[in-house]
Amino acid sequence: MISVDLLLGALIATICGLDRVAILQFMLSRPIVAAPLVALVLGEPVVGLQVGLLVELLWLARLPVGAAVPPDDTQVAIASSVMVIVSGRFLNAGGIELILICLLVALPLGKVGQYFEHYARQYNVRLSKQVELALENGSIRAAEWQHLRGLISFSLAAIATYAVILAGGLTLVPLIWPLLQGPLSYSSDWVALAMPLIGIAVILGTINVSRAITLFCASFGMAFLLMWLV
Amino acid sequence: MALSWKTRLHIWLRLLLLQASWNFERLQGLGFFYALLPGLKKLYPKEDVLAVSQRHVGYFNTHPYLAPLVAGAVLKLEEERALDSTGEHIEIDEFKEMVAAPYAAIGDALFWGGLRPLVAGISLFFAVKGILWAPVIFILLYNLVPMWFRIGFFVRGYRQGLKSIEFVQKHCLPDWAIHTKEAAVVVLGGLSAFMVFSHLNQQHLPNWLGLLTLFPMILLGLVARKGISTLLLIFLTAISIFLVGLFWADLANWLAL
Repeated sequence: MISVDLLLGALIATICGLDRVAILQFMLSRPIVAAPLVALVLGEPVVGLQVGLLVELLWLARLPVGAAVPPDDTQVAIASSVMVIVSGRFLNAGGIELILICLLVALPLGKVGQYFEHYARQYNVRLSKQVELALENGSIRAAEWQHLRGLISFSLAAIATYAVILAGGLTLVPLIWPLLQGPLSYSSDWVALAMPLIGIAVILGTINVSRAITLFCASFGMAFLLMWLV
Repeated sequence: MALSWKTRLHIWLRLLLLQASWNFERLQGLGFFYALLPGLKKLYPKEDVLAVSQRHVGYFNTHPYLAPLVAGAVLKLEEERALDSTGEHIEIDEFKEMVAAPYAAIGDALFWGGLRPLVAGISLFFAVKGILWAPVIFILLYNLVPMWFRIGFFVRGYRQGLKSIEFVQKHCLPDWAIHTKEAAVVVLGGLSAFMVFSHLNQQHLPNWLGLLTLFPMILLGLVARKGISTLLLIFLTAISIFLVGLFWADLANWLAL
């Protein structure tokens, strides 16, 4: 049942979306966790693992520092996994090509997550005023409740991002798939290799470590030679 | 009156919801008030709790994993103030302001900038091998350190109050952040080599080709440092590889004919 799959995906999108900023921060929201989790619930954990592997490192260099809102890689990973599983069933397709097409559609759509999260944080400013008002009226319980109301904003932002990515993806993927399936088969393995390597390169370029390139090259060279020669 | 362990546990659990109402005006301010409330209710008579609460709903922002340290210390200071309301006391707001920003900077560098890429790198080794436990390994490995900070530093903050600052200074956390980042770079270097080597073996290509990967990676890193978006880099690279793949396939067909 596709609708049940989409709803289960929405449930996990909400839980992981809340873990991202609002509560816990146990890192359930990281793509390497969130994507396999939703795929496991939908019965295809390997798809989630592949999606998680491809997405995990892409925006890891974008730190949630202060008021900065990084791209929503959580919802990209979850929605992509659901998209691969659902579209795979009705297109009777699969493999790394379908994963890549779903991801390349989901990644730009994921930018909306930043706007929704920004809006949720902006909306929560009202809660500050309402807490002050509640305290002026002598109601501590009402003030506590206002804080918890913030969870609703973050949940709605997570669900909205998930819905936009999924709606866009499930509309576009069936159109793109017949056109790109064949041509992509020549290069899909290389694109799948390139994605995490781009993420690592971006981390390398932005991590604030002196001699990062030297350390990286030494580590890469040593590991590579060990695997090659031993 | 010292706070009971039940109250402290209650406060610690509420700190897990610190950012539930994160907003651009007061950031974690409401969450900090929400977390402290069970303690404030125990420390102050009912008629004073409202006034004390109003002191804590203002701007507050630190790293969520180091917030328990600040909360513990603030509770201690509130306890001292509640016990002796006539004596000389440090301004609790000033203390919060003084420690929040430096702790945020330390936490961002240590956890977001260092630990997260390090643990991601380690767990992706398992993911590349197709081991389904990779997410569990990530969660367990990653949360070891933050949980130690969240629990241990809360206890320490409450025990030491103002002196908890010395405790943080003594542990040289900024140095640990740098070491963690260096370790992350080393692990990510090993991971890149592992992925490239495995891929070349699958494609039956000569292994020495893998060493050439370093050049585009360093180039991409330098481009990223200039502020070019990751999304653009992904699409440019994917389209280039796609076109080269098509050209290569056509060339192979033509040669076969």
